[in-house]
Amino acid sequence: MNKKLNKRQAWLAFLVLMLGLIAVFILSLFFGSVSIAPEKLWQSEIVWQIRLPRVILAGLIGLLLSLSGVILQGVLRNPLADPYILGISAGGAVGAALAISMGGGIVVLGMSSVPIAAFIFSLLAVFIVYKLAKVGGRTAPETLILAGVALSAFCSAILALIIIVSGNLQTIYFWLLGSLAWASWGNVITVAPYALIGAGIVYFYSKELNALLLGEEMAATLGIDVEQVRLILIVVASVMTAAAVSVAGLIGFVGLIVPHWVRLLIGPNHRLLIPIASLSGMLLMILADTLARTMLAPLEIPIGIIMSLIGAPFFLYLLRRRRAPGK
Amino acid sequence: MSILKVEQLVCGYHPKYPVIKGLSFSVEDGQFVGVVGPNGSGKTTLLRALIGMVTRSQGSIYVSQYRLENLDRRDLARRIALVPQLMEPVEGFSVEELIMLGRTPYFDRLKFDDKRDRAAVRWAIRELKLQDLKDRPVAELSGGEFQRVAIARALAQQPKVMLLDEPTSHLDIRYQVRICKLLRKLRSRRSIIATFHDLNLASRYCSRLILLKDGELVAAGSPENVVTPENIWKAYRLKVTVRSNPRTRKAKYVLLP
Repeated sequence: MNKKLNKRQAWLAFLVLMLGLIAVFILSLFFGSVSIAPEKLWQSEIVWQIRLPRVILAGLIGLLLSLSGVILQGVLRNPLADPYILGISAGGAVGAALAISMGGGIVVLGMSSVPIAAFIFSLLAVFIVYKLAKVGGRTAPETLILAGVALSAFCSAILALIIIVSGNLQTIYFWLLGSLAWASWGNVITVAPYALIGAGIVYFYSKELNALLLGEEMAATLGIDVEQVRLILIVVASVMTAAAVSVAGLIGFVGLIVPHWVRLLIGPNHRLLIPIASLSGMLLMILADTLARTMLAPLEIPIGIIMSLIGAPFFLYLLRRRRAPGK
Repeated sequence: MSILKVEQLVCGYHPKYPVIKGLSFSVEDGQFVGVVGPNGSGKTTLLRALIGMVTRSQGSIYVSQYRLENLDRRDLARRIALVPQLMEPVEGFSVEELIMLGRTPYFDRLKFDDKRDRAAVRWAIRELKLQDLKDRPVAELSGGEFQRVAIARALAQQPKVMLLDEPTSHLDIRYQVRICKLLRKLRSRRSIIATFHDLNLASRYCSRLILLKDGELVAAGSPENVVTPENIWKAYRLKVTVRSNPRTRKAKYVLLP
């Protein structure tokens, strides 16, 4: 295992990632199912109306999911926690399936009902999980995770029921796989505030997240109100994830591998972890979405499939590296 | 003036079954107090109560002149620090980074390790002679080395009172003595309260002992007044004889055959 980077190198990594992000961002505009001559790129309607919002949305979703992963792994003190661990994916899926089967075309306040239903049901699921896990005025992380597992199982049953009754298997299944094919400027504008404000709040709590590395009791002896911090951060992570899920469906592994990879690189100090994980998440997501658009063009692969194809082996690689003996 | 005062403390994890049943004592500045007693006598619970982690059902605790409940979390964290029996080594942190966590009660939202924090960490590293280890990953340290890091982390909090839960229980005898000597040295500008299983070790290094049994006080005072055959019989139901170390004049029990 190589030595993690020191602070100066970590900020250098931040700069490199930033430059990488800008490069990938620009390059990804060149790729798509329609080939556009580079010199005409800036005049193309396709670039302005389809590719640009999509690339931005991919970046925002990468940030939302990676930071949710950082938060939940921190407050639940569980390395396997991902943004979906508290039932968000299951709740969102039920919401989306309901909206799709009742005719996805319904428009509420200028928005399709699918993202709204997914958003509301995601948060409802976390709320139920939190309430279920609250025993005697406090919530233990293990109880939260177990309640999340139980609620997810319950929701999958409901989801299956909705699919069978409505007969909308294909549309719902595609939503579940996760995709950015519906990206629009409207989506970007809806999701951007969650990403920006969420990231700001998380960075505000890096002191607390660092203290929690020592365990809940030690964090308490360092002057941290653990129960309150946990509630606030779970709410923030849930709203961030729900925003991502509502426009892009279920995209796995980003929230799991990005925090792990960055921790391996720079260590668990959240002051560095949060900015670097944000950039890495954006970068990874834009890359994955570019692959999704171009690998089998003109056919588009749902980005959730790409993420799992890259994510699962990469996660195993990270685990093996962690366990590798040596200096 | 006493830095810590406990009056008629009753506390536990369930209101019906108090673990500490009416305990009073006070700790002066610069004392190294050893809390001893059999398993289940309430030593750890007492330490946890002193830092507000156990609900009190009766009695009061004063830190300096303040009542414990009137201090907010950060103020309390700047006055009392705890070294738990087993602290988790944070994977990926160096010794210095881990010790910096002790400065948490002094951080503000967007102000982290400033000059004062870094000076406090350097000082804690020097006090515990960790200079050679400061860049090492904590996960690679031996038990004794990590215990020194855990103490340095608490010291970086610059507390008036340092609580240690069985600081020597996982260490070899050389390190047990080393940690005790260190604590005895550190007490000079703060008070130290530590629980011990080894009565002889506690009696050799502590300036005062508190002997508990079933959450009640059996004896308190100087080691030679606490470590007596009668008190040990009361607390542990063991027959011992007590000898005084000719050089240190500290009391030392010897098991009778």
